[in-house]
Amino acid sequence: MPRLDRLPEGNRKNLLALPVRINDAAPFAPLRRPLAASRLAIVTTAGLHRRGDRPFGPADQSYRVIAADTPTVDIVQSHTSLGFDRVAIMRDINVSFPIDRLRELVARGVLGALAAHSYSFMGAQRDLARIEGETGPEVGRRLREEGVDAALVTPT
Amino acid sequence: MLARALEVEGVATTSISMVREHTEKIRPPRALFVPFPFGHALGRPDDPALQHRVLAAALALLGAPVGPVLRDFPDDVEPGAEPPAPTQASAVTPAAGIPDDPVAEAMAMLPRQAQWLETSGGRTAVGLAGMALVRVGDVVRFLQTFAAGGDADLPERPRDLPLPGFIRYCADDLKALYAEGYMTMKPTAGGDEIARWFWAETAAGQLLRRVRDRLDASDDPRWKAAAFGVAR
Repeated sequence: MPRLDRLPEGNRKNLLALPVRINDAAPFAPLRRPLAASRLAIVTTAGLHRRGDRPFGPADQSYRVIAADTPTVDIVQSHTSLGFDRVAIMRDINVSFPIDRLRELVARGVLGALAAHSYSFMGAQRDLARIEGETGPEVGRRLREEGVDAALVTPT
Repeated sequence: MLARALEVEGVATTSISMVREHTEKIRPPRALFVPFPFGHALGRPDDPALQHRVLAAALALLGAPVGPVLRDFPDDVEPGAEPPAPTQASAVTPAAGIPDDPVAEAMAMLPRQAQWLETSGGRTAVGLAGMALVRVGDVVRFLQTFAAGGDADLPERPRDLPLPGFIRYCADDLKALYAEGYMTMKPTAGGDEIARWFWAETAAGQLLRRVRDRLDASDDPRWKAAAFGVAR
């Protein structure tokens, strides 16, 4: 966003009070093949899921799976914080979940392929213990098993 | 954080960052900071050219040989007319003389929202509470009873979903119904204009302020959290 110094004070204080993991030793996986030969998945923290899936609740550290052929009309967002503008994604899901844009990149040969599934988590989390220890690694394993080379991580 | 769990499995990640100050500490392997308002990670809705520019910049980071890499999307990009974060209810003064009949008002939104479905190809943000739109009158009456301090519930509330969570979904659905209805009246309206209209000029906006007040008066942190999501 928004540079924090341009935000209303309430938003700024709320954001600066969020606990943030300081990361001194991030693992780094190089991309193994050129983008044009890579399989890419979207992993989003926008709280998206298929209509009919259990909506995300507050502090919900589980994830939802969205198959690549899910029509965007069947995708809804249950991350509905008043801290962000929901109207943008109501108009165009690609502002957080750029599935149509990625399909265009595949068609143009810029990107090798789309993964069979996207994965979605809830945003604005304070406690990340279960994502860190369980659900995050589980999604990592699933991506590897599905032959995914790279992931685009998108917020809302 | 999430990126780290994926990289351990050999999946290269590139992230879009909305809060540079957080990303500087989290240090994900590759991140692109974008200067857009919250809710606009890839830029503006219905602007595929800008979305492609953002995507190209994010995907280009995948070629970085070492990390962490934090790059800024060009700062001269036009972030659009929307403010960094939407206007909240507390910053909007309700208009005088709003008819206090949110049931009739919400029912009047239904045909407008039906028009929205035609233009959106059937896409709608309504539906989190699992209530059919034709039941919107019952949803509003439920919220009215709750706001007035009564014992309110609906048979559709899932047993494992606590009341404040269900109220939050009902409030989200009501806001989405109104936003979609408004966009058929004013197709160019952005989120901030819609938020100001909702909190200033609709009976539903005033009802949700009262729902928030009752939730917020509780000592239960789950009620307080729901209040923070209904209106601020």
